[in-house]
Amino acid sequence: MIYLDHAAATPMSDKVIEAMRPYFSHDFFNPSAAYLPAKKVAADYEAAKATIAHAIGAKAADLVITAGATEANNLAFNGISRVLYLETEHDSVREVAKQRGGVAIKVLRSGLIDLEDLKAKITDETELISVALVNGEIGVIQPLAEIAAIIREVRLDRLRRGIKTRLLLHSDASQALNLLDVSVARLGVDLLTLNAAKIYGPKGVGALYASHEAKLSPAIIGGGQENGLRSGTENVPGVIGFAKAIELAKEHLNGNRKKYAELKRTLLANLQGYELIVKKHQLDNFVNLCYNGIDGERLVFLLEDHEIYVATGAACAASKGEKSHVLKAIGLSDSEIAGSLRLTLGETNTKEQLEEAARVINEVVAKEQRRLYD
Amino acid sequence: MTKMYEEMTVAEGNSRGDLATRGRTATGRTPARVFVGMSGGVDSSVAAMLLLNQGYDVTGIYMKNWSRDLPGMKCPWAEDLADAKRVAVKLGIPFEVWDFEDAYREKVVEYMLREFKAGNTPNPDVMCNQEIKFKLFYEKAMARGADFIATGHYARKIDGKLARAVDENKDQTYFLYRISKEALEHTLFPIGEMLKPDVKKLAEKNGLHNAYKKESMGVCFVGEVGMKDFLKEYIDIAPGEIREAETEKVLGYHEGAVFYTIGQRHGLYLSGEKGAVNDGLPYYVVRKDLAHNIVYVSKNLNHSAIWTKELKLKDVFLRGYLSEARVLVRLRHRAPLVPAKFDGETLTFESEIKRPASGQSAVLYDGEICLGGGIII
Repeated sequence: MIYLDHAAATPMSDKVIEAMRPYFSHDFFNPSAAYLPAKKVAADYEAAKATIAHAIGAKAADLVITAGATEANNLAFNGISRVLYLETEHDSVREVAKQRGGVAIKVLRSGLIDLEDLKAKITDETELISVALVNGEIGVIQPLAEIAAIIREVRLDRLRRGIKTRLLLHSDASQALNLLDVSVARLGVDLLTLNAAKIYGPKGVGALYASHEAKLSPAIIGGGQENGLRSGTENVPGVIGFAKAIELAKEHLNGNRKKYAELKRTLLANLQGYELIVKKHQLDNFVNLCYNGIDGERLVFLLEDHEIYVATGAACAASKGEKSHVLKAIGLSDSEIAGSLRLTLGETNTKEQLEEAARVINEVVAKEQRRLYD
Repeated sequence: MTKMYEEMTVAEGNSRGDLATRGRTATGRTPARVFVGMSGGVDSSVAAMLLLNQGYDVTGIYMKNWSRDLPGMKCPWAEDLADAKRVAVKLGIPFEVWDFEDAYREKVVEYMLREFKAGNTPNPDVMCNQEIKFKLFYEKAMARGADFIATGHYARKIDGKLARAVDENKDQTYFLYRISKEALEHTLFPIGEMLKPDVKKLAEKNGLHNAYKKESMGVCFVGEVGMKDFLKEYIDIAPGEIREAETEKVLGYHEGAVFYTIGQRHGLYLSGEKGAVNDGLPYYVVRKDLAHNIVYVSKNLNHSAIWTKELKLKDVFLRGYLSEARVLVRLRHRAPLVPAKFDGETLTFESEIKRPASGQSAVLYDGEICLGGGIII
């Protein structure tokens, strides 16, 4: 198997599984229980949360653990009514934003945010701006610090004019954690979504960082866990696994970048007849190819026969049979969208794998071309 | 190629009679062009594979008729589409999605709801074949330059006539009796000579991933939800009384009269003292008063509403070769064939039969040949 879809899911690393294991059985206690073994579990849970928080330069108290990034994105928007969001955002932002009077900010052909459009669309009522640090489909890294600077200007201006409406910056950093040094202070965000599943941690575990400015409203009400913002018995093994995964991601950050950049070079050097959809400002493990005139989904099925697994777009958009709104937003034609492939590299990949993948991709592309044009 | 594969191909080739040579390239002619409806299931997948193997120029089409999720059931259309496309890619044939959702809603779903509201029990699959697969799909395929359409139905053509499948257990002519003669002339049923287990084996041998995919049962888009839950979504229903036909006594309450068919035995939620009302004998629906939303039941299994020697048909569609009054009749999919006399409007049976629900089809046969049929009044 050659797995080239690490943006969709990553295999859990052995170290993560080992770290989680005791908390399924031996240390199964409810952290809220009164006896000492439970208190030990509560302490481990808090320590794990602190590890996750420190990895992004925050405190444990600023984190709300959720069941994944979608829930974290939903929570970030809870109780807010005037939203701006980047048109290339994931559905877990887009769909919620649309219910909150959301207005889309345009992207440029490069996939980067159109900062002029952002400035033009901020009104005195705007409460939240949501821009993913890394786009899940095309891996484009957004200039969050520049956006934060614009927001600071707006805040100052509102202060001067006595307008009390607060303006927050939210970012979904799900894809970024094992390749970018994510720090909430440097990014200038008030809300940040994290996801364990994309960094070799467990699925169904995420977190929302929220600064004190954010004043979140609870999305799930009950026993008052997670500072009352997200009730429900803590997912102890999940959070322990998340902490281990983020620790490993931090540790290998620089090594990963170098490795993926090299793998990407190998892949592109061996591939033929493609166009690159994104050329700059892209996360090192993303490769977006376009074979104009060919149906990318057919390539996915042909590659599947060779146990090579790739994607056309984001996994959820593809399963609904919808055309990628991201590729459309960056100006691709319908036939270019149809001919697109997303390859996302990861820890499972080697140089030899990518040489082999390139050879097979060339072969199936040629096969499809023969079918169409001979 | 396996031996089994070849054998089956030959068997299929024979069934196409005079048209058989048109698919072959060996004659020097351009191969005949076939658009095959691919649902993602094993039957239509194998149909496409057989046609390709016979030398036809094959294009796979997924007909998108319904995509709405219903409570408790995710509409599997996207997975079905992916399954169909995966097979098309494996076979190396072109593949397209044709969207008939609007027409399906208008011609099939609305017809079905109208009939249920009128107290009947319609058969949407018959309507889907008549209006969508063998009309809109057929017409579009012809407009695109097709010589034939093909489907994964278990049915055959004998001397150009619609005929029952070799697999008696899977025969689908009950749902096909109303398709137009013109469409049938240009239709291939590649698996009509095969037995279902052999279709599955052939799919598996040829590496088709959906060889053992779970079959969709009943009306395709209603799927596992069941007709009742579907109707609840679309028809305003009100609970009403269940009364004993003979005494007018209220025995219990129902969720909505449209859910009941005459002769139905199950689903009567009768309350009352054990022994007094219910002595263990089952009740049968014998009459529906839709105006007052009352369902009448009886313990009398011999009630005249349940049994009949005659059935009147409406919207009779004959395929043009009904030669004598004696016919074989199928009153439900997979039901046994019963002999009867037909005068063009009324079926007269030799002995009493259990009355089928009005709105269902009675399909007529002469041996293996499907003569047509009509809607039971």
